[in-house]
Amino acid sequence: MSVDVREGANRLAVGRQRPLPTNDTQASGDGDDLPPRTRRGRAAILFVALSVALVVVALVAAGSGQLRVPPLEVLGSVLRHIGIDWLPGPSHPQGDAALWDVRFPRVTMAMLVGAALAVAGAVMQGIFGNPLADPGVVGVSSGSALAASTVIVFGLTFAGSWTIALFAFAGGLVTAIAVYLLSRSQGKTEVVTLILTGIAVNAVAGAGLAFLTFLGDTQAREQIVFWQLGSLNGTRWQYVVVVLVLVVVGIAASLSFSRKLDLLSLGDRSATHLGLNVERLRAVAIVVVALLTAAAVAFCGIISFVGLVVPHMIRMIAGPGHRVLVPASALGGAVLLMLADLVARTAVAYADLPIGMITALVGGPFFFWLLRRARRSAGGWA
Amino acid sequence: MRLSTTRVTRIAIAVCTAGAVLLATTACSSASDGATGATSAAVSTGTIADAAAMTPDELRAYQGASSARLADTALTPVATDPTPTLPVTVTDSQGTKVTVTDTSRILTLDVYGTLSRIVYELGLGSSMVGRDTSSNFAEIADLPNVTPGGHEVTAEAILALSPSVIVTDTSIGPWDVILQMRDAGIPVVVVDSERSLDNVGALTNQVAAALGVPDAGKTLADRTQQEVDAETAAIAKVAPATEGEKLRTVFLYVRGQSGVYYLFGEGSGADALIDGIGGYDVAKEIGWEGMRPVTDEAIIAAQPEVILMMTKGLESVGGVSGLLEKLPALAQTPAGQHQRIIDMPDSEILSFGPQSAQVLDAVAQAMYAPQQHPVAVSDQ
Repeated sequence: MSVDVREGANRLAVGRQRPLPTNDTQASGDGDDLPPRTRRGRAAILFVALSVALVVVALVAAGSGQLRVPPLEVLGSVLRHIGIDWLPGPSHPQGDAALWDVRFPRVTMAMLVGAALAVAGAVMQGIFGNPLADPGVVGVSSGSALAASTVIVFGLTFAGSWTIALFAFAGGLVTAIAVYLLSRSQGKTEVVTLILTGIAVNAVAGAGLAFLTFLGDTQAREQIVFWQLGSLNGTRWQYVVVVLVLVVVGIAASLSFSRKLDLLSLGDRSATHLGLNVERLRAVAIVVVALLTAAAVAFCGIISFVGLVVPHMIRMIAGPGHRVLVPASALGGAVLLMLADLVARTAVAYADLPIGMITALVGGPFFFWLLRRARRSAGGWA
Repeated sequence: MRLSTTRVTRIAIAVCTAGAVLLATTACSSASDGATGATSAAVSTGTIADAAAMTPDELRAYQGASSARLADTALTPVATDPTPTLPVTVTDSQGTKVTVTDTSRILTLDVYGTLSRIVYELGLGSSMVGRDTSSNFAEIADLPNVTPGGHEVTAEAILALSPSVIVTDTSIGPWDVILQMRDAGIPVVVVDSERSLDNVGALTNQVAAALGVPDAGKTLADRTQQEVDAETAAIAKVAPATEGEKLRTVFLYVRGQSGVYYLFGEGSGADALIDGIGGYDVAKEIGWEGMRPVTDEAIIAAQPEVILMMTKGLESVGGVSGLLEKLPALAQTPAGQHQRIIDMPDSEILSFGPQSAQVLDAVAQAMYAPQQHPVAVSDQ
């Protein structure tokens, strides 16, 4: 049974349309055709490597910024906050404030948002049975951003910091359901249908954003522009707390149904025969995708391609099983977004680059390559 | 000579009607011939009071663009290094109570560059630690620019300057960064975001109160008001008096080649500027509020006779001829047909700070004595 699961998942990794009987014979060295033991070993190494990377990148990110604080003083400041005075704190008069009010919340936010987007991508690819599903590509992020923008333009604050998150979630949920219903026919989504649905959804959401830009005052207008390319500038602890709650719930839920996603990759009928309530799984998973996307979009705007690039890289290394894929994607996404944000906030003096620009710069070509690959393995534009 | 017959006739009329300024007019118009198409800055000499008075009909018939440039950009602080009375607690324009204890490191942030000018004119310029991109007069130009990208600030870059007080409005953001400054314990005073002739004094007093120099603020506010009053009176002498004779004026914000352009209406500052120079505000006539994109047909329907623009905007479309080429609708308006475009540097035209009177004077001169201030933006 475990073998069956793996084979089914393999098909997912390269597109559902591959001729069934040939199975692994034409797999292309992605780690798909490895025996289970090697793969388990690889997964273990992957987790260790990602955890080390997470810690190292977090330290580098915490130690670099436009206000220069030497690494030793950063460490000193952290120790002082837990009551140990071994090392001197920052010598710059605003050093402590820069670290604790600006940089640390921002690095934490990058970590959370990266994890949320990568897991949302992995789950979405699982339930759509389509390797090109990603909250940004199919428009869930835009839907979230559109709903969140209305909060800004109309100045809604009835739920405090949570108002934006609430709207982002509602917008994301509506869009995710719409995409799911629109792109699915006879139990599967085809690559082209999904991409075209994404174009349509993004166009509608883009039009809505443009209209809100027109309605809003200068300040709201700037915030919407800032949103369209994404940025972590201005992250405060209040927002980190909101995102943390959403991300923890979202990732925990994703982990809890990761084994079911493996079953689902066998196809709806097989999964049903194995006792899986397919429709309920899909419904829950869509809510989770919307939740994770909302967590990312609410305060940081549209950051695309993280949900696409990270799960695919993980699959290449550790294979398509969701029990490894989901947690590894969370770690990988966190590392990737912390790196991207590091570039965004340090590349140009006094300025802050839009982070969505940086992820798209890397993710765009990757997406193109994936499309080519999906076309080849699916024997044309399936 | 490239003078057309009509232009020669026009100059002749001007000479006849204003014999006393014969020398000045001819000297300047020949200078303008030499400068046509060149980028040499047209520095105005004298004020609007010295300008040749043209009749409304002559103003309507005038052909050609002009540039408004400040005659004098030098600072004249009302005090030298005044000693602030500290600590001071103020309630800012958002109702937040802010206590300022130290004004040794001041940072001002606004999209117009007005606040930094006020601080310098209050005599506290030596305490400034940074500037926004719109503040670029000689005395401040060497300070680090914390908004190189236009109007986005980043928290760490500001903290690195360790300001002891920040004076800003809501025109610069993201707002969360301003809140982060408060989180970091830096007092942030938020002043009025609107810029107009009516609130220059109030704005000056808000800034001065926050920095503990209310007396200097009152002196500066009074001085600014007196200058504006004198200027308005001087303009009234040259500007057409009746509603129907006033030149129909619009403020267009044009950037780049994409064909998007904004009409600035009520509350944008352009309304105050047009009123101040004695123009007829077309945006008010059609009930246009704020800053919004405008369509070709709306421009044709508005039939402006004079168009005010920012210098960088005019440059970005390739000068006057580029503008008329990019926006063919303008050719259907008197302003386009007569090339009555007036430009002024972006950081000055809507700044409404201590220089309000000088700005009005420069724009009024470009409007009512255009031949003395030929366009300084070259066609590309």
